[in-house]
Amino acid sequence: MGSLLRGEEMCLAQLFLQSGSAYDCIVELGELGLVEFRDLNPNVNAFQRKHVNEIKKCEEMERILGYLLREVKKADISLPEGDVNPVAPLPKHVMAIMEQLQRLEVELGEVTRNKEKLQRNLLELTEYTHMLRISRSFVQKTSEREPLQVQYEEFPFLEKDTLMDYSSMQRLGAKLGFISGLIKRTKIEAFERMLWRVCKGYTILSYAEVEEYLEDPDTGEPTRSVVFLISYWGDQIGQKVKKICDCYHCHLYPYPSTNEERNDVVEGLRTRIQDLHTVLHRTEDYLKQVLMKASESVYTWVVQVKKMKAIYYILNLCSFDVTNKCLIAEVWCPVNDIPTLRRALEEGSRKSGATVPSFVNRIPTNDTPPTQIRTNKFTSGFQNIVDAYGVGNYREVNPAPFTIITFPFLFAVMFGDLGHGVIMALFALWMVLYENNRKLKNTRNEIWNTFFEGRYIILMMGLFSIYTGLIYNDCFSKSLNIFGSGWNVTAMFRAQVWKNADISGNRFLTLDPNVTGVFNGPYPLGIDPIWNLATNRLTFLNSYKMKMSVILGVIHMSFGVILSTYNHSHFRKKHNLYLVFLPELLFLLCLFGYLVFMIFYKWLVFTAKDSREAPSILIHFINMFLMQGDGVQPLYPGQIGLQVFLVVVAVLSVPVLLLGKPVYLYWLHNGGHRPGLYRGYERVRRNSEEELYLMRDHDMEEGSSHSDLSSSGDRQTDEFDFADEFLHQAIHTIEYCLGCVSNTASYLRLWALSLAHAQLSEVLWTMVMRVGLRMDTSLGILFLVPVFGLFAVLTVSILLVMEGLSAFLHALRLHWVEFQNKFYSGTGVKFCPFSFSLLPSSFEQYGLL
Amino acid sequence: MLSVISFNVDHGYLEGLVRGMKAGILTRADYHNLAQCDTLEDMKLHLQCTDYGKTLSSSEDDLTVSLVDSKLRENLVAEFSCLRSNALPPLSTFLDYITYSYMIDNVVMLITGALKQRDVAELLPRCHPLGAFDQMAAVGIARTPTELYSAVLVDTPLAQFFQDAVSESNLDEMEAEILRNKLFKAYLESFHSFCKNIGGATKDIMCPILEFEADRRAFIITVNSFGTDLSNAERSALYPACGRLHPEGLCLLGAAQDAAQVKDVADRYPAYKIIFEEPEPGSGFKTLEDRFFEQEVKLNTLAFLQQFHFGVFYSYIKLKEQESRNIVWIAECVTQRQKSKIHNYITIFQGTEQ
Repeated sequence: MGSLLRGEEMCLAQLFLQSGSAYDCIVELGELGLVEFRDLNPNVNAFQRKHVNEIKKCEEMERILGYLLREVKKADISLPEGDVNPVAPLPKHVMAIMEQLQRLEVELGEVTRNKEKLQRNLLELTEYTHMLRISRSFVQKTSEREPLQVQYEEFPFLEKDTLMDYSSMQRLGAKLGFISGLIKRTKIEAFERMLWRVCKGYTILSYAEVEEYLEDPDTGEPTRSVVFLISYWGDQIGQKVKKICDCYHCHLYPYPSTNEERNDVVEGLRTRIQDLHTVLHRTEDYLKQVLMKASESVYTWVVQVKKMKAIYYILNLCSFDVTNKCLIAEVWCPVNDIPTLRRALEEGSRKSGATVPSFVNRIPTNDTPPTQIRTNKFTSGFQNIVDAYGVGNYREVNPAPFTIITFPFLFAVMFGDLGHGVIMALFALWMVLYENNRKLKNTRNEIWNTFFEGRYIILMMGLFSIYTGLIYNDCFSKSLNIFGSGWNVTAMFRAQVWKNADISGNRFLTLDPNVTGVFNGPYPLGIDPIWNLATNRLTFLNSYKMKMSVILGVIHMSFGVILSTYNHSHFRKKHNLYLVFLPELLFLLCLFGYLVFMIFYKWLVFTAKDSREAPSILIHFINMFLMQGDGVQPLYPGQIGLQVFLVVVAVLSVPVLLLGKPVYLYWLHNGGHRPGLYRGYERVRRNSEEELYLMRDHDMEEGSSHSDLSSSGDRQTDEFDFADEFLHQAIHTIEYCLGCVSNTASYLRLWALSLAHAQLSEVLWTMVMRVGLRMDTSLGILFLVPVFGLFAVLTVSILLVMEGLSAFLHALRLHWVEFQNKFYSGTGVKFCPFSFSLLPSSFEQYGLL
Repeated sequence: MLSVISFNVDHGYLEGLVRGMKAGILTRADYHNLAQCDTLEDMKLHLQCTDYGKTLSSSEDDLTVSLVDSKLRENLVAEFSCLRSNALPPLSTFLDYITYSYMIDNVVMLITGALKQRDVAELLPRCHPLGAFDQMAAVGIARTPTELYSAVLVDTPLAQFFQDAVSESNLDEMEAEILRNKLFKAYLESFHSFCKNIGGATKDIMCPILEFEADRRAFIITVNSFGTDLSNAERSALYPACGRLHPEGLCLLGAAQDAAQVKDVADRYPAYKIIFEEPEPGSGFKTLEDRFFEQEVKLNTLAFLQQFHFGVFYSYIKLKEQESRNIVWIAECVTQRQKSKIHNYITIFQGTEQ
């Protein structure tokens, strides 16, 4: 709890790692995730660092792994993403992995290339068979059509020979040529046009579409192709035609001149295609085997390479000492973890068999350490809420432990409904019970992950909603009558106030609590269920909820102000206690604390009997500021005097707040004594005096290169600028005083949202559920089923999800703005330790897929 | 007319996208780091930290300068095609206009290649992919510009620029170069009037850039024509008539006989006077081309100062091209160990650091 309240105490430590065992030590540290490394060579470019070659090697391996993974995925082999956590490989084992990977890559590359070649071959052959099959019909068609075209094309010699076949064509000499092939469906029109334009019509183009989809070897998409046959006249045109075919990426195939040849070719093709199919199958099987084998160890490799790369990145952050015998690293480390750190280093040295052990040295520093707050699965959600606003300063009071209760509570004030709370709590409970389920944990759905991460928050919100729902006596907008109402209607008749005629004559009747027996004391828990029937229920609840919001708000804010004392006393600024905290608290309590007092006073003093004389608190509160109370009856004797006193105190605390701190600091700066102002630093010094001494010796040995780094903070002197300080305090004062007013008003959102929630659920009940319940025939039972379905869906989607989100948002705001600005500055830096567990843990996140 | 109010309805997403991509343009600090590299591997390592990311590291082969060049180009083309496929008119037309200049270059390159009896398959990979079109490979068939037009290019968007270029003379290298300039003249004039018609900020941004481009061509044509058998009249016909030099400057340029006279013409225009000024002896020597590039970069960076216009797209492509040129230059220097010349790149954005 202490750590959660303030965060861990951190220290800057120097690690002296023997160059032989540095790698192993970093491995140990990475597994434990204890320390955050500082960059000791900030001026060195990424590619000029020591271990850049190793990092390049890792990247090379990553590239191969990415290729492997893609191939595995293409082959539809499932990748085992086991829970195995292989340790980072030793540098000497890296070469083995590298070799294995390279061999795999070469093998895979060869096989895939072969496969592609075979596929291309197969495609060509299939295309050829298609072409032969389809172009056969061209010849028949052309031979039928020939006479017509012949006249048109003015080929007189063709006229004589109307029934053409190929032998006769050959007789005509080499001048008549054929080009045939396949072209993509989309290009045929442009192709035809260009052919016509370039060759001026000295060609005949006939084409037909292939019915099947053929796979494009480049893109792998199925495309439609067209078989064409160009008959042309003359060599020159032939060359042009060929060029055009090239330009449109046509696949050209030789055109058989005779029917016998064609049949031979077709036969030959068929056998070759069959052969190719078998070879292709074998190749694919082999490929699959190779990939299967690779897929077994690919996850291990990926993790190992990632870890190795991370280690070399860390080694790049370290600096060498002059003798090159050991690496020096500077780390931030929680003080409590230093023994563990020592053990880890010993372990690392032992593993690598180094003779000289690596060791840790604490060094003093004036730099602000990063903030480390240890959380568990329950507190981490709440800590995240706080961190989203800002990571706390080092050793500042952390609002998270208080948020654990206040956040769900303020949420529940707005979300108060027993039924909705139960649903929400059950949902969260389910997530909590199955939190170790891998399927739930590893999903990539971002929205789901958000809910899952916040399961404990949701659980708390649900439980608190049940509580406030009981207090409001709201369950799906209906009231539960558990203990029996405190109001009695029959008593009105017994007392002869009402008669039977009144019931039939009036739509509304008012119960009078002053009649004996009508009001038998308050309901034991929360609001009396009878209010659910009353028409003035809203008026009653509004007054109650509004006052409650103000009370909660003032308590919440005062608590925030009180928390600031922890900061003041911890940072040894006792003057802040008197000059900042006290006036702040007085201002808040004298004005709004008094308002709360009046609310309670009115609740306690005035009963049903004298409710007619109950005063308006608002009028009294306004009068307090105007300092006049002549017109109205005082609440209690001495009220005017007390009020004047409180206002004066509040007003006087403003100049104290405004001037006190700057003036005091000014006085201190100009020769006033400093009571224990620097005790903090001195304590650190004494602690490590010995180490400091050692370090100085060390520095002298190795020159001043890194003493610059560690002592740079020491030179900062605390300069004091009165104007600066005064300006800050002025801003703070204005912000605080105005904030007290506006923040109190801001808490009224508790009332507004809770009202909205209650009204919305009531509307849903009357508009949907009651319609279904009104049907009193037996058909109504059937009708009720869809109506309930609609009611359930709307309840979950609007009331739980939407309203829940909006209440969450407002609770968040109340914490961030109204609560935390009283004490929390949140300008720290988060401690991010070097830890392998923080590396992404699935293939997609590795960026390899 | 594009109004400021409705611009974002159609083009807001793409403008946002292109401005985001612009943020990835290398800054002075990046160049400074790149210039310190000793090998291409180092450059790769540094470029990994920039928006190029893994562009270079995905290949298995060893890095060469030409590989770097083609990878950078691929990157640019990928970005451009993303923009183009999401564009709505008139932005789509505008983006098409950008590609036309690459098309012209490709056509001329293929013609000269065909004249030298090179294989089309060998030439095609060297064409700029931004200017790729279907009929590209058939360019070699044509023997005269007319044939080129009527057979090959009539279906392409370049056809509209061919009105002046149609001639029956045989295509030789000189003719191809003239054809290029004629096409560019028509292209620039057409692009200029297109931007003018769009109006608004697009006009304000794009017209100066295109005018500069036109004038630059006029200057370069003149300078390059000295010592060839191109007559003054022929030369004047190639000047794009949409620049600031039009009409008086172009007349003077048409009459110029040597470099000194060109400089005289430039001196009349303050914007060009700086470019033609002899550099001070102390500072590093820069070629005329480099100084034109520098001026172009300056104009293009201005485009990002205004919103709701198309100029950012043009400028982004041009700046990215310049960046590729810079990286390739540095890579060349690194591989050839010419450290002294490595700083002759043109910084695009100064960056926030330093």
